[in-house]
Amino acid sequence: MPRWIPDDPATESALLAEAGLAESDQLFSDIPRKVRLGRMGVGPAHDELDLVRTVDKILSRNRPYTGFATFLGGRIAPRFVPAAVDAILLRSEFYTSYTPYQPEASQGMLQALFEFQSLWVELSGMDVANASLYDGATAAGEAMLLARRIHEGKRFLVPASLPWEEKSVLANYAMGTGVRIDEIRFDPKTGRLDLEHLKAEVARGDVFGVLADVPNGFGHVDEGLLDMKSLIGAVPYVVVADPLALSVLSPPGDWGADVVVGEGQGFGASPSFGGPLLGLFACRRDHLRFSPGRIVGATKDAEGRPAFTLTLQTREQHIRRSRATSNICTNQSLLALAFVVYASTVGPRGLADLERSLSERARTLANALSGIDGLRAPRFDAPYLHEFTLEVTRGTATGFLDRLRRRKVLGGHPLADPRTPAASPGNELVLTAATEFVGDKEIAKYAKAARTALAHVPGAA
Amino acid sequence: MTFRQARYDEPPIWELSRPAELTTGAVPEIPGIPQRFRRARAVEWPELSELEVVRHYTRLSQMNFGIDTNAYPLGSCTMKYNPKVSEQLARRDGAAALHPYQPVETVQGALEILWRLENALGKITGLPEISLQPAAGAHGEYAALLMIRAYFRDRGELEKRTEVLLPDTAHGTNPASAQMAGFTTREIPSVNGCVDLAALRAALSEKTAAFMLTNPNTAGLFESEITELAEAVHGAGAMLYYDGANLNAILGVTNPGRMGFDVAHLNLHKTFATPHGGGGPGAGVLAATETLGPYLPVPRVVKRGRSYRLDYERPHSIGKIKTGYGNFGLDLRAYVFLLAHGEEGLRHISRRSVLNANYLAKKLGKFLPRPFRELVKHEFLLSGAPLKAKGVRTLDLAKRLLDEGYHAPTIYFPSLVDEALMIEFPETESRRELDGFAAAFERAVTDTPENLHAAPTATSVRRVDEVLAARELRLSRKDLAPLSKSS
Repeated sequence: MPRWIPDDPATESALLAEAGLAESDQLFSDIPRKVRLGRMGVGPAHDELDLVRTVDKILSRNRPYTGFATFLGGRIAPRFVPAAVDAILLRSEFYTSYTPYQPEASQGMLQALFEFQSLWVELSGMDVANASLYDGATAAGEAMLLARRIHEGKRFLVPASLPWEEKSVLANYAMGTGVRIDEIRFDPKTGRLDLEHLKAEVARGDVFGVLADVPNGFGHVDEGLLDMKSLIGAVPYVVVADPLALSVLSPPGDWGADVVVGEGQGFGASPSFGGPLLGLFACRRDHLRFSPGRIVGATKDAEGRPAFTLTLQTREQHIRRSRATSNICTNQSLLALAFVVYASTVGPRGLADLERSLSERARTLANALSGIDGLRAPRFDAPYLHEFTLEVTRGTATGFLDRLRRRKVLGGHPLADPRTPAASPGNELVLTAATEFVGDKEIAKYAKAARTALAHVPGAA
Repeated sequence: MTFRQARYDEPPIWELSRPAELTTGAVPEIPGIPQRFRRARAVEWPELSELEVVRHYTRLSQMNFGIDTNAYPLGSCTMKYNPKVSEQLARRDGAAALHPYQPVETVQGALEILWRLENALGKITGLPEISLQPAAGAHGEYAALLMIRAYFRDRGELEKRTEVLLPDTAHGTNPASAQMAGFTTREIPSVNGCVDLAALRAALSEKTAAFMLTNPNTAGLFESEITELAEAVHGAGAMLYYDGANLNAILGVTNPGRMGFDVAHLNLHKTFATPHGGGGPGAGVLAATETLGPYLPVPRVVKRGRSYRLDYERPHSIGKIKTGYGNFGLDLRAYVFLLAHGEEGLRHISRRSVLNANYLAKKLGKFLPRPFRELVKHEFLLSGAPLKAKGVRTLDLAKRLLDEGYHAPTIYFPSLVDEALMIEFPETESRRELDGFAAAFERAVTDTPENLHAAPTATSVRRVDEVLAARELRLSRKDLAPLSKSS
């Protein structure tokens, strides 16, 4: 194995002797024999070259999306990351550091996190942001718990179009608190939330929070979100928002959101098969003391110089224990650093231009697919930015995507919940997204592959 | 060692551009997006050159401790060396350029990594059913308690099993997770740093859902009565939960399965050397018996013949606890760490980390009292209480150690020791480093109260006013204006 454990056996023996122990087994004399182990059977050690070969061989069985015409998206975005971002992430003073409990020795990370909080405050239009949560879905879960702390009620409303993974994560955040999650219908033509349904549900008086997302689970932009606060009144309004979309859209703070959460991986981090991700969380100042997670504040040092530190720690588990606002200890600091370095490298104009350019490509894609027999693209009428939903009307969504894959196209992902695979007709929806990696050539390839794929499928029922 | 941290007067990034450059022009119009949904003004953030950005964050990095620059004797945090080869491998296209929703045919290698890691962790923990979905240790605790909840619900016992017991030495995340999972919590007192078995027996009842335990515990002591504790918990029909924060001490010596635990979480960012990233990302593991296995999150990775797939058909599963399948980038690094060490290497880890703790405990015990028994596992406690007589607190000692170039130990935890310092030097720290720390500790503990109160002086800022931070909350650029004007 590589020399990751220092010193030679003689030095270890000397340490042992100085610790007052005769042999190394005495280090474990407090562990009863009856719970001791024999061999674990985890195999032999590898030297560095060996393990690089072993791991590379396994990784060679992957087919990265870079080898396809890629239209995968949703909350997790395959996006180009400028080399400068990773150069900063590889500064080991950052990536090998611990949570900045000792602020004097950790000003670098603390200041970067303060800048990150400032950026999410700016994008979301909220008053305060925390220093990150695990991912967008768990951030939504924490937002729901915050809503419950600030408003009476026992039901939380979410769009029926919310991605199934987020619904499942929310259900788990609800499980311990005994609250119920109910779904608001969407208009089958536009994909937008049915605001009449929302109004009726809120009128029952037992709702402690409402969640809506932009882009929504179908990838579309629902104008109704701008009017929701006036419909729900004092009920807390949680918005799930894509940070890139917010570079061109009005910030949720301007339309009455109480909490704004989102998935931040697209700013500076690779999808990495779904993790690590970045949970974004911001809220109104009034709700700060009920909010989860680490928060960095600006202050001064003993000489009056500007300094940063973790603050409001009396909300947190290591102080408040069973009365903490959350159990969060480890968060996603390094991804928060990636977020702010990426946005600063690309710049605000660059972000807005990127969103505009991806939106153009998405519209080109929709035009290219719209005439194809066996597809409805886009499925819904509402406007969209860089992604939209299409419907496979001939055969199944998974069959369609599988045939695309054989033609080197990753055409999107099915929206159906894989736990209930009974794919009923009308539920063959696919979320498809434009990325920086697709141009006219890839779009033409998608259209051609889609035509071929659907031509071989017997007509839809 | 003479230590001096960089001290730049590096302003916040928005001060690097002239104010006029902050707000720039109109936001591009996107067809179909209603006018009233458009951002009225551009995002207020500076337009900088790449060099300006790189220099800013490089300077900030130089005002930060990391394992690569300074040793971290942080008890319960297991701050060991983060191997460089793992960083390299995790950045391969074959690992980084994978979308979680790619068809399984295109991610066979990723599933194989997960499967192999799960398989090895099953052997290491003695608990056969593994999920890598948690993003962190506390996330795993929460998920495990939800699994326990679902299990008792299925047995019709949830109505009465409403209480989670934990020792007074438990990590703060334990009671916080239990509360989030809908349980009430109750602390069991310790005797000589270990769980009071009689008190536990008295507290256990048909109301108990679980007992959460770290072993070795946060006092650095192995709970030698573990078999009796397990029998008592199971006798009451409750589940025994293992907090794996301190697994480093027992790798290959014992494991949660053998000790009688029903479910465990591990922290790959501790025992398996994935970088802490300044607070995260971490990576959690759930390990369970066959009884609780069906409740693990979906999907599970399954192997048939030579191919792997994601299995969602688990009717008892609690569902998802995050997007994707866990922090894959870190799971890969943990697998690299595992491959490098192998069976003998893992045993060497526990042996050496326990050796480091006992060696250093003996040395430092000359300067401050050690509560509880002599033999410790991977970490040990000191009490800074005697320093109070000269007006010095443990906090002052911690700050003084920063000036010596060492991160401070974990302080004021666990609370059963007055003015506690909890010290852990994992297996990757050399004798030279241990001796260096012992010498630094001696200089610090024998220093004058004036110097101790004035510390730190070698860091990029002096003692930070945390009271001011909490009193006048300045949490973003929006709140900073008054500060900037005065500076």
